[in-house]
Parts: sequence; structure tokens; C-alpha cells
Amino acid sequence: MSNDNHELIQTMFPPDGSGVKPYEWMINPTRQRQWIDKQGLFLWLAFFFSEIGAGLYFVSLFYEYKLGLVLGWLITLILGGLIHVAYLGNPFRAWRMIMKPNTSELSRGIWIIGIFAALGLLQMVTSGGFNMVFNVIMGILCLLIISHGFATMNVIRALPAWSSTMVLPFSIISGVWVGQQVLQFMLAVSGATALASGMEVWAEIFFFAYFLCLVLYVWGTWHANEIGQASIKMMVSEELKKITLIGVVGLAIVLPLILTLIMWGGDTNAFLIFLRLAAIFAGDLAVRYIIMKSAVYKPLLERN
Amino acid sequence: MPRWGMVIDVKRCIACWGCSIACKEEHFLPPNVFWNRVLIGERGKFPSSSKLILPILCNHCSDAACVEACPTGATYIREDGIVAVDDEKCVGCRACLVSCPYQQRTYYDNEVKDREYFPGQGKTELELIGEKLYPFKLGTVIKCNFCTERLEDGMKKGLEPGVDEDASPACVNICPVSARVFGDLDDPNSKINRLIMEHKGKQLRPEFGTEPAVYYID
Repeated sequence: MSNDNHELIQTMFPPDGSGVKPYEWMINPTRQRQWIDKQGLFLWLAFFFSEIGAGLYFVSLFYEYKLGLVLGWLITLILGGLIHVAYLGNPFRAWRMIMKPNTSELSRGIWIIGIFAALGLLQMVTSGGFNMVFNVIMGILCLLIISHGFATMNVIRALPAWSSTMVLPFSIISGVWVGQQVLQFMLAVSGATALASGMEVWAEIFFFAYFLCLVLYVWGTWHANEIGQASIKMMVSEELKKITLIGVVGLAIVLPLILTLIMWGGDTNAFLIFLRLAAIFAGDLAVRYIIMKSAVYKPLLERN
Repeated sequence: MPRWGMVIDVKRCIACWGCSIACKEEHFLPPNVFWNRVLIGERGKFPSSSKLILPILCNHCSDAACVEACPTGATYIREDGIVAVDDEKCVGCRACLVSCPYQQRTYYDNEVKDREYFPGQGKTELELIGEKLYPFKLGTVIKCNFCTERLEDGMKKGLEPGVDEDASPACVNICPVSARVFGDLDDPNSKINRLIMEHKGKQLRPEFGTEPAVYYID
């Protein structure tokens, strides 16, 4: 094959599969690409940062820890918000996304983040901000933001791996778990070691809840239908095997488990908490990446 | 007001890809962008194997997942049932693209815009003219529009879509075996409705509950 021909074929049918031959489109389980490949990576990061920021804010409410509120609010709005906007094809029209809260989950999310931004600011600047009513309202808003990314994915009926029942509980647990770990680390390094040690019992509960949700998600998706099975198989395929093994199994489960067992009963120190935070930070990113990357559509041609 | 729909006779289709090419020509679609495809698959094992042919395009669903997912209202259903995209409102979030079970939409970004039919040799005159005559907006989603322009221009001249070529979609006109029939789904006496009833027309992937306006018969 001449070089020119080779270049032509590479351009028309890139090896990443994005340019499959037109007559082979959707005749096999086909992976969704828009929300994870190329510019789609922004969305993966945006969902993550919005959710852990809201998770940190949520846990900080229980400890009435203002620095946690400020950091959580900033992570959600600045990191999460800006990355969301960077993902859009026409970022200057982002305001238009408030237009359809009646049907669009994305639109509802923008409203919730807007209300969270305003009320959160009010809570942070007022002296009596930690009253029960405010806390309950902000707690509910935080949970809605934590579940927003996966809720947006969950409503897509065409992708069984995302429409699994376990997607929403998993996203809530994961947001709160990472947020709780950020707060525990902040308390440990700021000298509040007794508080950080007291939080360990919650770390144990959240870790096992996270693990359970992950197992139930995989089990549920596998048993949903043959397309769900194709998604799970893709998670352990050659392309994603390393991320699944190192990121999901190693960093999201095994390492936090070991560190949780070492600190069992509240025997904590800042370094170990930092190690666990770093592991679950990278691990949770890997879990989300795998879930977004392995979602496949049902082929349009029925074959046997 | 009519509700436009299409019937495709898969037994007649000979997979000539005339519809794909006519569509590309009509809308000056860049390389690797297809609003009309003919899928080829196979069933069974030799010697009892058979070839499967399935022409596909946007189904212009009456309960469209893309319309539901769009956060700005850029994707909407017109009064005549055509699912359209208002590129002035589209923010490029691609929620419509992800939620479409038929995957019949394309995100138009720089990578798509810059593709050349003859890579490395620059765009041809035809491609450059196409960009002027049928411009797409960067960072928006594009899709089949049932050749809205032809329909509207034709109807202004008093022509009947599905009957007169100048008022019918390009893929319908080009089909050499008349596998595609276009018409009004709300008219009980239309040819398209008669075919759906006589041949028990089926919609693609009805389990998604999107109520496509494209029916398949065999």
C-alpha cells in the first residue's frame, strides 16, 4: 500500500473507531464517545469536581466547619462550573441552559447549582448561617448537586450501563465519601486531631457503602441485558483493563481498604488520611471514567 | 397540518448507497458525516447465512429522546413532525447526541469542518461552495431534516411532498427501486399509511418508546 493510500485510510477510518465504515455503523454494540472522548473529558472532570465540592460542603454542614463550606462552594462553582462551560461547543450561550427544566436534567442541574451558589454564599457570610433550616436546605441542594452528573446520565434510556438503578445511590455515596475524606484531612492538618479521629467511624461506613454500591452496580448492569453485559466486558477489555485494575480495584478499593483497616477504631494520622484521600481521589476518577467510557448502545441490526 | 413520515421497504433495498450519496450532495456533508446510512450485516453461518440490509436516517420521533434531553430547546419538533435543530440556540452540550438510541446526529466541530474529501490536497471547489451554500455553525449538532428546504420550497410552488420530486427528500428521489416512500402520516388515505397498514410497518427499536416517524416494511 502506498503512503498516500495509507494516509487516506487513516484519515477516513481512524484506528480509534470514530470513523467506522458507514455500513458498519451501529451493527455491533457501539460505545458512546461524546461525553468521554476528546473534549468530553471536560465533562468527566466537571461532574467529578462539582460532586466532590458539594460532598465537602455537605459533610462540613454537620461539623459547622466554615472553611470546608468555602472550599466546597469554590470547588463546585469555580472548578466544576468552569470546566462544564469549557466543555460546551458554544460557551457564551451557556445561559440558555436554564430554559428547559421541565424535561432536561442538564437544565435542572443549572438551576440547582445557581440556587446553591446564592444560598451558599448567604450561609457563608451570615453569622447565624448554621441554623437548622439553612442546613437542611443546603444539605438537600448538596445531595442534588452530588447526584446531578449521574442523574443526567441515568435518564438516558439508550445506554443500559447508565440507566442502572444503582447509578444514583453510587453517585451520592461517592460524592459524600470523597468530600468526607477531604474534610477529615483538612481537620487533621489544622490540628483538630480528635475531630479527625472521630470522623474515622464515618470513613469506615462510607468506604463499605461505596464498595457495596460499586459491586451492586456491576452486578445489576451485568444482569440487566446483553448490552449491560457488553459494557461490563468492555471494562475489562484490553483498552480499559489497566485503568480498571489499577484505578478501580487498586486505588478505589484495595488501598483505601488497607488504610481503613490500619486506622480502624480512630487510630488516625494526617499522613495516612492524606494517602487514603489521594487514593480515593484518583480511584473515584477512574471509576467514573470507566462507567462513562464503557457505556454502549444497542446495535440497530438484530443478528443471531 | 401534515405529519411527515417515511416508509422504507427493506426487501426492495439493494444497498446501492444512492440515498447516502444524494443526502451528502444535497446538504454538502463533510467526509464521514452521514445523515443517511445503509447498514450491512449478516445472520447465521454458511451455508444458511443471510445478508441484512437496513437503511437508516433520523427517525423524526414524535416522543424524541433528543428533544427531551436538550436543555435549551434548540432541538424541537416542528408542527409538521420534523425534528429540527435551531443552531442559534444550540450550546453544543451534546445531550441530544448521547441520548439518541439511533445515533443519527453529528457534532460539528473544527475537526469535522476541516476534513477534506482528498486529504492533504485542500478542499475542492465543490466543498468550498458547499460551505457557503449550506453553512453549519461550529460547536452545534447537525442532523437529517427530511430535506426541509425542498419540502417548503416545493409546497410554496403548490407541489405535493412524496409525490412531486421537487417537494420530496433527496433520498426518496434518488432511490432506483422506490424503496422509500414519503408522505403524511396523519392522512389515512396517503400511500405511506396504506403501506404501513398493508405490510404491518415496524418502527426501529420500539422498546425505547420514541415513536419514530420512519417505518420499515418487508
